[in-house]
Amino acid sequence: MVESKTILNLAISVGEILLKSGGEIYRVQETVSRILEAYGIEDYHVFVITNGIFATVYEQRKDAGSMVRYVPIGEVNLERVAQMNQLSREICEKNCTITEAYEKLEQYRNASGTNNRSLILACAAGSAGFCYLLGGRPYDSMVCFFLGILLEVFLLLAARHHASRFIMNIMGSALVTTGSLILYVAGAGILSDKIIIGGIIPLVPGVALTTGIRDLFSGDYLSGSIRMIDALLTGMCIAIGVGGAIKVFHLLWGGTLAL
Amino acid sequence: MDQILVSMAATMAFAVLFHVPRSEYLLCAVNGAIGWMVYLFCVSHDTGITIASMWATLVLTLVARLLSAIRKMPGTVFLVTGIFTLVPGAGIYYTSYYLIMNDLEQCMAKGIETFKIAGAIVLGMIFGLILPQSWFNQIGKIWKNYDTHG
Repeated sequence: MVESKTILNLAISVGEILLKSGGEIYRVQETVSRILEAYGIEDYHVFVITNGIFATVYEQRKDAGSMVRYVPIGEVNLERVAQMNQLSREICEKNCTITEAYEKLEQYRNASGTNNRSLILACAAGSAGFCYLLGGRPYDSMVCFFLGILLEVFLLLAARHHASRFIMNIMGSALVTTGSLILYVAGAGILSDKIIIGGIIPLVPGVALTTGIRDLFSGDYLSGSIRMIDALLTGMCIAIGVGGAIKVFHLLWGGTLAL
Repeated sequence: MDQILVSMAATMAFAVLFHVPRSEYLLCAVNGAIGWMVYLFCVSHDTGITIASMWATLVLTLVARLLSAIRKMPGTVFLVTGIFTLVPGAGIYYTSYYLIMNDLEQCMAKGIETFKIAGAIVLGMIFGLILPQSWFNQIGKIWKNYDTHG
C-alpha cells in the first residue's frame, strides 16, 4: 500500500507544473483530485488559486497529510499543460504505477523546451505578421521583424536575470518604441505607429485575459480576479513604456514629432 | 487572400512562442485565421470593431472547444493562440500616445474603446463557453468514428 504522502506529493507536483504553465484553475483542481482518486484516496480536499495549491488527505485519520505549494506566475508553456493533462489521463486509466508516474513527471520536467533561436524567430515573425495585419506595408513588417528579434533577445536576457515582470514589460515596450522612433527620425520612411503596435503584441496579456475569463466563468472569482488584474497591470506597463519612450523623444527632439 | 495566410503565420508564430506541441501548430494557425476573418467580415459589414471582436471571439471559442474535443488537447492551447489577432494592442498604443500628446479627449476615447474591445472579448468568450462541453465531446466522437470508418 503506497504511502498517502507519496501519492499526495505526486498529485500536487503535477498540479503545480500545470498551474505554473498556464492551466486554468478548474483544470488544476480536477487533475489533482483525479490523481488522488486514481490511487485510492477518497478522503481528500483540494483548494487551488492562481499562485497556490493546498491539499489535505485523510484529515480524520492518524496518517493525515497536507501539502502546500506556492506557485509564482510563470511562463506560459502549453506543451507542459498538454503533457500534464496526458499524464493525468494515463494515471486515471490505471495505466501507471506510482513509480512510472514519477519517472514520467521527471522526464517532462527536465525536457528542454523550444530552443532560444526558435523563440526569437517566432517573436519576430509574430510581430511582423501583426504589423502587416494591422495596416503596415511589407516594408514596415520587415522593420518590425528586426524589432521583434531585439525584443525577444531582451526578454530572454531579462528573464535570465530574474527581472520583475513589470520591468520586463515597461522596458520591452520602451525598447520597441525607441527602436521604431530612432528609425523614423533617421529618415527610414516608416509608419512607426503600425510598427510599434505590431512590436508590442507579444507583450499584450492575451493569456492572462483568456485564462482569467475562464476562471471567472467557472466561479473561481479570486483566481480570475488575480489574472484580470495581472492583465490590466500588464496593459498599463506597456502603455507606460510606450508613452515614456515617446515622451523622451519629444523632449530630445523639441516637441514636434508628428507620427 | 493574403490576410488569411498572414494571420495563419502570425498565429503559428505565437504558437511557437507559447511552446504549443508541434502537432497542433497548423490547427492553431487555422483557428487564428478563422477568428481574424470573422472579425474582418464583421467590420466590412459595418458592425463596428467592438461587436466584430465579440463575434470573432465567439466563433474562436467554439472552434477551439471543437478542436479540443477532436484532438484531445486542452482547449487553452487553441484559444490562447487564436486570441492574439483580436486583443486591442492598437488601443493600448493610441491611448498612451494621445496621453503623451496631451490630447486628452482622444486619449479617453481610445482608452474607453480599448476597454470596450476587452469587454467584447470577455462576452464573446463567455457566450462560447456556455454550451456544455458534452456537446463538443459528442461531435468529437462522431468525428473520430467518421475518421476511422469513413
